[in-house]
Amino acid sequence: MSDLKLVDVSKSFGAVEILKKINLDVKAGEFIVFVGPSGCGKSTLLRLIAGLEEITAGELVIGGKRMNDIDPSHRGLAMVFQSYALNPHMTVAENMGFALKFAGLPSAEIRARVLSAAHILDLEPLLQRRPKALSGGQRQRVAIGRAIVRQPKVFLFDEPLSNLDAGLRVHMRIEIAKLHRQLGVTTVYVTHDQVEAMTLADRIVVLRAGEVEQIGSPLDLYDNPANLFVAGFIGSPKMNLLPAIVTRTADGRPALRIPDIGDALVALPDRAPRLEDGRAVYIGIRPEQFCVDGSAEFDLAIDIVEHLGGTTFVYARKGSSAAIVVETRDGRAHKSGDAIAVRFDPASLYLFDADGGRIRSAAFGQPNA
Amino acid sequence: MPLPRLLNRIGVYGFLGAMALLSVFPFIWMIVGTTNSTGDIILGHLGLGHAFLDNTQKFFTQANAPLIFWNSAKISLLGTALTLAVSSVAGYGFEIFRSPGRDWLYAGLLLTIMIPFAVLMIPLFMIMGRLGLINTHIAIILPTVASGFVIFYFRQATKAFPSELRDAARVDGLKEWQIFLYIYIPTMRSTYAAAFVIVFMATWNNYLWPLIVLQTNEMKTITLVISSLASAYYPDYGVVMVGALVATLPTLIVFFAMQRQFVQGMLGAIK
Amino acid sequence: MPAPISLRRYYDVNGWFFVVPALGLIAVFMIYPIIWSLWMSFQTGRGLVMHFGGLANIVRLTEDPVFQLALTNTILFFVIQVPIMLTLALFTAVLLDDPKLKFAGLIRTAIFLPCVMSLVVYSVIFKSMFVDDGVVNRALAAVGAISGPIPWMSDPFWARVLLIVAITWRWTGYNMIFYLAALQNIDRSIYEVARIDGVPATARFFRLTVPMLKPVILFTTVTSTIGTLQLFDEARNIVASDTSAGTAGPGDSVLTLSVYIYNLTFRFMPSFGYAATVSYVIVILVALLSFVQFTVARERD
Ligand SMILES: Nc1ncnc2c1ncn2[C@@H]1O[C@H](COP(=O)(O)OP(=O)(O)O)[C@@H](O)[C@H]1O
Ligand SMILES: [Mg+2]
Repeated sequence: MSDLKLVDVSKSFGAVEILKKINLDVKAGEFIVFVGPSGCGKSTLLRLIAGLEEITAGELVIGGKRMNDIDPSHRGLAMVFQSYALNPHMTVAENMGFALKFAGLPSAEIRARVLSAAHILDLEPLLQRRPKALSGGQRQRVAIGRAIVRQPKVFLFDEPLSNLDAGLRVHMRIEIAKLHRQLGVTTVYVTHDQVEAMTLADRIVVLRAGEVEQIGSPLDLYDNPANLFVAGFIGSPKMNLLPAIVTRTADGRPALRIPDIGDALVALPDRAPRLEDGRAVYIGIRPEQFCVDGSAEFDLAIDIVEHLGGTTFVYARKGSSAAIVVETRDGRAHKSGDAIAVRFDPASLYLFDADGGRIRSAAFGQPNA
Repeated sequence: MPLPRLLNRIGVYGFLGAMALLSVFPFIWMIVGTTNSTGDIILGHLGLGHAFLDNTQKFFTQANAPLIFWNSAKISLLGTALTLAVSSVAGYGFEIFRSPGRDWLYAGLLLTIMIPFAVLMIPLFMIMGRLGLINTHIAIILPTVASGFVIFYFRQATKAFPSELRDAARVDGLKEWQIFLYIYIPTMRSTYAAAFVIVFMATWNNYLWPLIVLQTNEMKTITLVISSLASAYYPDYGVVMVGALVATLPTLIVFFAMQRQFVQGMLGAIK
Repeated sequence: MPAPISLRRYYDVNGWFFVVPALGLIAVFMIYPIIWSLWMSFQTGRGLVMHFGGLANIVRLTEDPVFQLALTNTILFFVIQVPIMLTLALFTAVLLDDPKLKFAGLIRTAIFLPCVMSLVVYSVIFKSMFVDDGVVNRALAAVGAISGPIPWMSDPFWARVLLIVAITWRWTGYNMIFYLAALQNIDRSIYEVARIDGVPATARFFRLTVPMLKPVILFTTVTSTIGTLQLFDEARNIVASDTSAGTAGPGDSVLTLSVYIYNLTFRFMPSFGYAATVSYVIVILVALLSFVQFTVARERD
């Protein structure tokens, strides 16, 4: 178990800067998840930590030691790859013990460690099989076993569940969470799936185009997104994001005009900060923030209804604008083509600048207001 | 079946059948020929004869067959092993460790594939002369060990070698040469098998370069011996057929034992 | 823990370590000979007594009827043989690609089988089949195709025909395999849609198959051309009437550039400089023809 620190870490391939001045402090034992759209540089960042790519600028410190130029195998970490990276010509046991053999461990010790990892992961009956004769989930467990036997100070995972089908993915997600609780090893985990990030992480690092957008605990990111990107990225279905213009109501109170829902006017709460008239902003409202007793109300036409049983997602719109997603718990009667009246509390709105920055105020973004 | 379709089928099978028969006929001719006397062969006799033992015995006495066969086998197996070793290492190196300098060298290397052997043979002959290697088997093997084509073949194949296997091995603490030895070679066995087939075929059948370098009878390869037997003023075709069969059997066996790798090896270059 | 050196340098050193043995051998046995032979092509003289001759060897090319015969023969061979062979190979491959065809595997193996035979071996077997009273003439006479034996071995015209037939036999299956592999990579639904749309079979072949096979056709054309330009084993073994005199076929009718270079070097009083010059004629032809074929293929895009 070890802490891990990135200081102004940058990475360029040729002239292209893929990662820009990344700073991160990982506490010992913490489970950190890098999340972001595909191509944003998550894997590259992980590979920098692993030592598979060279750091262009900045510092990597693990357990208090600068690691920039240390060989990958001497950094005290183990890595699990998306494709599992099992050697096809070796049995499960040989695959798991492979690294230890090259570390010069006596074979009795290797066997003991392999057996204990196999026990933890329920792999005992499979030890003499080759990867070809295993299912996807079993291969995944072998890959994790191979990492465990090295007793690393840091675990690295690069999209380890992406090759599994949906059911197994959920199952393995829980296995990994349990394993982390059991072993308590510092873990850095890469995924593009925000559900995985939300369920596994102690803290999430949201990356976009090589830059950190926000770092925080899952609920922190959900409740308190730093900007439009994080707001849109975390949460499923996505937060509704609509352009709006600052204006005034007939009696002169500050309000927002929302073109996408028929120029509806939403009066702002009294405590709202002063925003100059005519300013273009975005409002954000999560599907579950539509409620029965909000002060703002519109009529929309239902496009599509997704009945999930417990809850219902209604995709509704006004005219030709983009659909708004509404989550309701008693929406079984809704059907496509119906009208729906939606209400929300203006105090639960998130407000963003035209350039995506969050307009923070005690008056907005109170999800439980 | 309607008549036009029937005629079409007959045409297709007729054409393909004729192609297949013509392709196989010289093999049948060769096998039948080993049993016929030269007189029968040049009169186009197609049936089995009684001269097989006679032809075989003559081939063994006239040509010192075991020695000649051993020469060919030694050159081919050793040459193929060395070629696979040196050229696969290079193909792997060019693909895994990219650098602008090496990419340029590689581009130059590809150009050498186009160079006709005729350009090389005189200087090569002189180099071998200076090294004192004329009339040795090493002289046959050496120039083909680093083959632009085989390097190209392995580099292409390496593109399919999962980079995560290499990365995982690096994290596991293997040195680069250990990754090549313990991960790459076992993973790429079928690539090696295919390359073995094509390189073995090429060295076993090589003619021009051994013709230049090998000068005494006890050094010669089976290809050379067959050529000289057949170029006599009155060739003893019965003996030639036995030699041809002996020369063809190893490649024929390799072909039928490893047909998939054989075809894969030939195609490997353009994938 | 090993001394920290930069990862990039570590991988760079390893990169060289892997390629240096091969590069060294290629430098000695490939690059050096190429340059040496270029240098030699400007030398004249016999045997080891050589001196700088400038362009004398090129002048000699223009005055040497044997060279011109070898050049004509070589060009003749690939101009006639390569198109015949590739058409045949493509045609066979398309027929074999039919998934409903029975015995396709067997037929394919049979047609591919000639590739297993070495060039020298098949040459001597053909030689034995095409003698005056041999099996081929007898078969042709039996079906009434000829009235008297064809003089394959003694008539310059027929000797060339024999060589073309032989090379076609040896390499058609080889090229067919490339076409078959490419055909199998084509998505069948493309053909199924075309059939539903009512595109006739010939149009499916010329409008769909040929354009999709273009890269392979180019590849086989280039490799076949290069191969034919370097023709040696067959020319020296099928009809070689008198190897000790160095002639190739009746009236040198199958004398190729490679055989001529060999003769200039190892048969007569060696003329290394001039032989090197002739070898560079092959290089120039290879480069020229590959270039032409690539440009033609690109323009058709
Ligand atoms: N070895 C490399 N050379 C050049 N560009 C690379 C290399 N590896 C990754 N990249 C580029 O870096 C960016 C980030 O890649 P990656 O870290 O794999 O993204 P992610 O894992 O977030 O999907 C991509 O645009 C990718 O094309
Ligand atoms: Mg990735």
